[in-house]
Amino acid sequence: MMPDEVIQKEANKAYRAHLLICAGTGCVSNRAFKVRDALVEEIQKRGLSDEVQVIATGCQGFCAQGPIMIFQPDGIFYQMLTEENISHLVEEHLVKGRPVPKLMYIPSVDEPPIPKLEDIDFFNKQRLLVLRNRGLLDPEKIDEYIARDGYQALAKALTTMTPEQIIDEVKSSGLRGRGGAGFPTGQKWAIARKSPGDEKYIICNADEGDPGAFMDRSIIESDPHSVLEGMTIGAFAIGAAHGYIYIREEYPLAMKRLHIAIDQARDYGLLGEDILGTGFNFDVSVHRGAGAFVCGEETSLIGSLEGRTPEPRIRPPFPAQSGVWEKPTNINNVETWANVPVIINRGSAWYTSLGTETSKGTKVFSVVGKVNNTGLVEVPMGTTLREIVYDIGGGIPGGKRFKAVQTGGPSGGCIPESKIDLPIDFERLTEAGSIMGSGGLIVMDEETCMVDVARYFLDFLRGESCGKCTTCREGIAAMHDIVADICNGEGKIEDIELLKDLSEAVRDASLCALGGTAPNPVLSTLQYFRDEYDAHINEKKCPAGVCRALISFRIDPEKCNGCFLCNKQCPEKVIHGKPKEPQIIDQEGCIKCGVCRESCKFGAVIVE
Amino acid sequence: MIKKTDQKVGAVLVVGAGVGGMQASLDLAEAGYNVYLVEKGPSIGGVMAQLDKTFPTNDCAMCTLAPRMVDCGGHLNIEKLTYSEVESIEGEAGNFRIRVRKKPRFINEDKCTGCGTCTTNCPVLNIAHFEDVDELGKVQLKEEDRQIFQQILSQHDINRESIIAVLQDINNRYRYLPDDILRHVAAALNVPLSLVYSLATFYNAFSLVPRGKYVIRVCMGTACHVQGGHQILQGLERMLNVPVGGTTEDMNFSLEEVRCLGCCGLAPVITINEDLYGSVTQAKLPKILKRYREEEVSVGIASEGVSDAKD
Ligand SMILES: Cc1cc2nc3c(=O)[nH]c(=O)nc-3n(C[C@H](O)[C@H](O)[C@H](O)COP(=O)(O)O)c2cc1C
Ligand code: FES
Repeated sequence: MMPDEVIQKEANKAYRAHLLICAGTGCVSNRAFKVRDALVEEIQKRGLSDEVQVIATGCQGFCAQGPIMIFQPDGIFYQMLTEENISHLVEEHLVKGRPVPKLMYIPSVDEPPIPKLEDIDFFNKQRLLVLRNRGLLDPEKIDEYIARDGYQALAKALTTMTPEQIIDEVKSSGLRGRGGAGFPTGQKWAIARKSPGDEKYIICNADEGDPGAFMDRSIIESDPHSVLEGMTIGAFAIGAAHGYIYIREEYPLAMKRLHIAIDQARDYGLLGEDILGTGFNFDVSVHRGAGAFVCGEETSLIGSLEGRTPEPRIRPPFPAQSGVWEKPTNINNVETWANVPVIINRGSAWYTSLGTETSKGTKVFSVVGKVNNTGLVEVPMGTTLREIVYDIGGGIPGGKRFKAVQTGGPSGGCIPESKIDLPIDFERLTEAGSIMGSGGLIVMDEETCMVDVARYFLDFLRGESCGKCTTCREGIAAMHDIVADICNGEGKIEDIELLKDLSEAVRDASLCALGGTAPNPVLSTLQYFRDEYDAHINEKKCPAGVCRALISFRIDPEKCNGCFLCNKQCPEKVIHGKPKEPQIIDQEGCIKCGVCRESCKFGAVIVE
Repeated sequence: MIKKTDQKVGAVLVVGAGVGGMQASLDLAEAGYNVYLVEKGPSIGGVMAQLDKTFPTNDCAMCTLAPRMVDCGGHLNIEKLTYSEVESIEGEAGNFRIRVRKKPRFINEDKCTGCGTCTTNCPVLNIAHFEDVDELGKVQLKEEDRQIFQQILSQHDINRESIIAVLQDINNRYRYLPDDILRHVAAALNVPLSLVYSLATFYNAFSLVPRGKYVIRVCMGTACHVQGGHQILQGLERMLNVPVGGTTEDMNFSLEEVRCLGCCGLAPVITINEDLYGSVTQAKLPKILKRYREEEVSVGIASEGVSDAKD
C-alpha cells in the first residue's frame, strides 16, 4: 500500500503528454510490452518521467496494425511500433515536438499518412458505447474507470431506482441479447425476477466460442469493470446475490484482468457485502472453461459450472426458472452486460435513438479475414455491410474481388456480394439466411472456396457436437463426409438433394441450437454459391483454387525470373530449374502445400 | 383402402423383437394374422430395454416398452421364438419356407417360471466391477505427486463444482491428466470416477496421454481458416512428422488444433505454450521451431514477436 500523500501526489501530477499504448492480446503478441518498456526507459533516460506518462490500455481494436499507440493530447496515432524506432520517436515527438509521419497510418500506397486518430476512417465511422473506454484507460486501475463515470450507473440504480424500474428501463431500451439469439434482455430479467425462490443467480457468458469473434475478450481486456457494473445492476434488478463469470481458458490475459478488477471492486466496496452502503450484497466468482464450444450454450454452461458433463438439456424449464443448482438463473453475454451501465446512465430514450426498428443500440463486430483493416469495430445497428467492409475495413487487400461475408459463426451463413447493402440487424441477417451470432464478420474474397468453407464449419461442428443427439452427432458427420467428397472431386449431383434432406433432419431433430443451426453454413452457401458446388461436382474444378484434390500449381515462365526462392523452400524438392531461369514444378511429386506460392514475390506461381 | 375380409390367410414372420418388431407383431396379430416373432436374444425387448430415456423428448423408455412386451407375451396369435435365428428363407411372397434354428437353453421352457433362484445359486459368477470411492484414493502416488496434488486441492473448495478447476490445474502442471491422480480426484471430491473420465475426455483442453514439452496449438478458427491455417497445420505435421494430436518421439513437441484464440486480426495464428505468433507462414515455421528445439526460448526474444502475455 502506498502512503496517502504519495497517492495524492500521483493524482495531482499534471502530465504534459499521455502515451496510450495498446496492451490487448493482439498487440502484446506483437511485442507491445517490449515496446512499452523501451519507451519508459527512453523517457527516463531523457529525464521526461515527470512530464510524460505511459499507460498500457486494453485493446484499441485496430489489431492489424499493432502495436499501436495514441499520443494525447494531440490525438496522434502511431502504428507498427518496434523497440528500434522508439528512441527516434521520443526524440522527434517528445523532445522536438515533431510527429513522425513514418509511423502513422497510411490508407493506401499513394496517399499521405493520416496523423490524427479522429481522421482515420477505421475509427471515426464507429460509434462507441460498449467500447466507450477502449484505449482510454488502464484496465488494471479501477480509479481510471471511476474517473470516466464508472460505477455511476450502479450508484444511480441502487440509490434512486427500484428493481422494477431498472427492468422497465432495460425493457424500454429494447436491448437484445448479444450472445446470438437476440432475446430481449429486459424480458429475460423480468422472468427471472418473477420466478419464485429467494436464492437466484446470474451468469456472464464469456465463453466466446464462435471462431472469428473476439469482442468479449476485448471488452474484458480493455474494460472489465463495465461488465462487473452491468452484472451488479442486473443482480440488484433480479434479486441475485451471486454471479458467475464463465470465461474461456484460451484467454489468459482477460482472465488476469478480470481477477484484478474483481479484487479492486471488492476493495472499494463495489462488490461484496453492503454495496455502497445500501445493504445490497452481491459477489462474483470466475469459472474457467476448458475448450468446448457447446459450453457456450446456456444449459450446457450451467452443467459445466456445476461440474456435470456439459451436455445441453431440454428446455423448458428455462434457466430463468431452473438454472444453476435448480435455482432461477439469468444468463447474459459479456457485451449485453456491458451495455447495461450505458442504458442506466443515459436513459432508454437516448439509447433507442440508435439502431433500427427492431434492434436498438450498437453492436461490436470483429472484422477479420480478407480485409485490410482487421480489428474490432462498434457501429450502430443498421449499418450496412458495405460501410463496414469498405469504409471501416478499408476493402479487400491486393485488389482482389469481394465474395462474401460470413456472420454468426458456425450457426450462421454467408452473405454474398449482391446483399452487401444489407443493413445489419437481427431480422435482416436472419432473412438473408444467416444470423447475428456473437458478431464475427469474416470477409472472404475470390480466393476463398465456399464449398471448402461449408466443409470447414461441418468439420468444426462435427468435432464440437457433444454427442447427445443422434441427428446432430451422426447427421453432421454424414453431411461433412458428403461435402468433403465434393471437395475431393468425388461428389455426385444427387448429393445436393441428400444434403438438403439431411439438413432438415439435423435441424428439426436436434435438442439444442448447435445441431439446430448446424446446416446453416451449408444451406446458405448452397443458396448463394450453387455454381461453386456444380463446378466441383461436374467439372471437378475448384474455381477459388483451394481444394487440394482439384488444383495444381504451375509456374508462369513469363513472370518467373529464377530467383530460386521457391526451389529452396519446396519441402518435397520437386521444383526444378537453374538459377536465373524460369522454374518448373514436377507435378508427380507435388504435394500442393502452397509454400512456393506463398514465398514467390513476383506472383509467378499460379493455381489452376 | 384395404379390403375388409374375415378370411385371413397364412402367417407372418417378424424378425427381431425390439420395440419396432413387437409393435409390428401386435398390429398383425390384432389384424388376425398368425405371427412368428423371431428374436436372437434370450428375451424380447431389444435395445430399448437397455435405455433409460429416449431422444429427443426424454420420455421414460420402459414406459413405452413394457406394455408392448406384456401384450406380445400374452397374445394368442403371436408365437415367440426367442434365442433363435433365421437360417434360410426360400420361396416367394405368399409361400415362404423358413428355417429357424432355436438355440438350446438347457432349461425346460414349459416348466420354468422365471423365479430366478437358479441364478442366485449358480456357483459361477461374472462380476461387474464397480470401483468403490474409498478404494480409489488407495492408489499409491509418488511422494512428489502427492504433494502437488495436495497443494492443488488446497486452492479449491472441496465439492463437485471445483472439479474442472482442479482438473485444469493438474493439466497445467503435468500437461496431461495422469490416471492415478484422476483416481485421487474422484476420491477427494467424492464423485464417481466415471464422471471424472467423462469430463476429462469431453473438454479439448485435457489429454489423457502425456504431452510434449512444448504444445503447439494451431488455430482452426474461421479467420485463420480463410487465411490458410490448415496449410500451416499440414506444414507442421510435415516438419514434425507427427499427425495432429500427436507428440514427437523426443517428447519435445505436441501438435494440436484449437478453435480460435481470439486474435483473429493476426490470422493465421499459432501458440507454443504461452507464446503467440501471428501472421504465420509456412516459410516462417522452421525458424520458429528451431528456437524451441535449441531451448533459447526462456529469453523469449524473437524477430516475429513472441508474446509476453506472461508479464
Ligand atoms: C452451440 C451454442 C454456442 C453458444 N455460444 C455462446 C457463446 O460463446 N457466447 C455467448 O454469449 N452465447 C453463446 N450462446 C448463446 C447462449 O446460449 C445464450 O443464449 C446467451 O448467452 C444468452 O445471453 P444474451 O441474452 O445476452 O445473448 C451459444 C448458444 C449455442 C446454442
Ligand atoms: S480465428 Fe484464429 S484466432 Fe480467431
